[in-house]
Amino acid sequence: MKIFIVIFSLMFAFLWADFLLGRGGEPPREGVSDFPGAPSLAIPFNHALHGDSLGLDCAACHTGSRSQAHAYFPTRKDCMDCHRLPLTENAGIEKLDSALEKAPEEPWSKASVLPAHVVFHHGVHAAAGVSCTDCHGGVKTSGAVRNYEVNTYGGEKFDMKTCLSCHRGETFKDRGYKRAATYCAACHR
Amino acid sequence: MGMDRRDFLKTCSLLAVGGLLFGCRKNALSEISDGLAGRIPDERLFEEEVRLALSMSRKELDLVAVPMPKALETKGEKSPNRFGMVIDMAACNGCGKCILACNRENNVPLVTEEDAARGRFMHWIEIRGGAPFMCAHCGSAPCEKVCPTGAASHTPDGLSTMMYKRCTGSRFCGANCPMQARKFNFNDAKSLGLSRQFNKEVPLRSKGVMEKCSLCLHRLQDDRLRFKTESAVAPGASAEWRGRGVKTACMEACPRKAIVFGNWLDGESPLVKAVSGRTLYAPRSLAPFDPSVLFLMEGR
Repeated sequence: MKIFIVIFSLMFAFLWADFLLGRGGEPPREGVSDFPGAPSLAIPFNHALHGDSLGLDCAACHTGSRSQAHAYFPTRKDCMDCHRLPLTENAGIEKLDSALEKAPEEPWSKASVLPAHVVFHHGVHAAAGVSCTDCHGGVKTSGAVRNYEVNTYGGEKFDMKTCLSCHRGETFKDRGYKRAATYCAACHR
Repeated sequence: MGMDRRDFLKTCSLLAVGGLLFGCRKNALSEISDGLAGRIPDERLFEEEVRLALSMSRKELDLVAVPMPKALETKGEKSPNRFGMVIDMAACNGCGKCILACNRENNVPLVTEEDAARGRFMHWIEIRGGAPFMCAHCGSAPCEKVCPTGAASHTPDGLSTMMYKRCTGSRFCGANCPMQARKFNFNDAKSLGLSRQFNKEVPLRSKGVMEKCSLCLHRLQDDRLRFKTESAVAPGASAEWRGRGVKTACMEACPRKAIVFGNWLDGESPLVKAVSGRTLYAPRSLAPFDPSVLFLMEGR
């Protein structure tokens, strides 16, 4: 019996050491459809309820989306700013309030999935008149939080070709967007 | 051999736990493990390497007078900007603070002891003839002409840039640069524990990739994007970005203000002001290629 315990502990020690010091086997491709899990909220966030029905602008919660490089995710305080206010005569939804109460301080603290050698500035695109849904299609119309991530942004369908075709003026012809820079160092470093 | 149900279940569950631990390694943990395994070098080592590089610096720098850099034409379009630098040989005392600042700004890796002994550093700035020397961002750069993949390319703003992900490591560019301003990553610095990411804004380079001074490209990019965003919402603001206010890391670090970064085509640029009425110099071998990083000499 003892020999088994010795073997187990040796194996465990090896695996533990590998776990701590070992290097992953996958090639170092950063930012390709590697998403951290969706936030574990008691009630999942619903874009359709906030965007379409309330007419909220994306920048109300994603505060950097019209001015900064990163769009940012709202903190719990940002949610509470509205949810604590008696906006209507209806009493608050108890289930929702208690869920918000329990939510972590930064429910969606998500690191950027953009590779380190790519520059993307949300603000400059918004300033040029590109609407959020052009890239993040279907956020407002679909209810699921993760839907747009799968569909476009960061998913297999979103790559440099997508960026370039718009920068060259091939997509969104009807919107009259100006052609944008296509030299390498405009977006890469 | 006797093994009851209890032992069998124990074995299985331990193996399962071990397997799970083995399988669920994540990228986030690799940074901690790198630190534990000593794969992230101490900051002191970077200072020591700069000191060593200073002691081995080359003494000669053959300068000739050149005219002021003019606007570049890329694909028939003229840009209102051409960024460059000027280094005042009289003000510089070769302290090497710019090298360290550059290394920290651009995450330049250390080299192995063997390479260091032969003076093969990855530093983007070298002290040559008593003053810092880096890529001159030539207007008609000989390095870019021989790049087989287009990784070495020119921006309309006069920067000779490197697209690391495009570089396949032919080293033609390095061979075609008359001043050896380019550095090749012969080693996988990260796995050798020689690289440290001081600045999250600049990506680390992998093995087999050429690198060189970028004129702090990331700072210019950030400023350009900020400017374009702001000018779109503020009516009446000047519509054209001139890169005013941007400084390179070496310029900021210089205690004697010997390095001045700016826009050659902008009259308000500190660069144009610093060189007014002075003769500009460039290394003799680079002078025919219209360099953007030039030198000033004492009293001239």
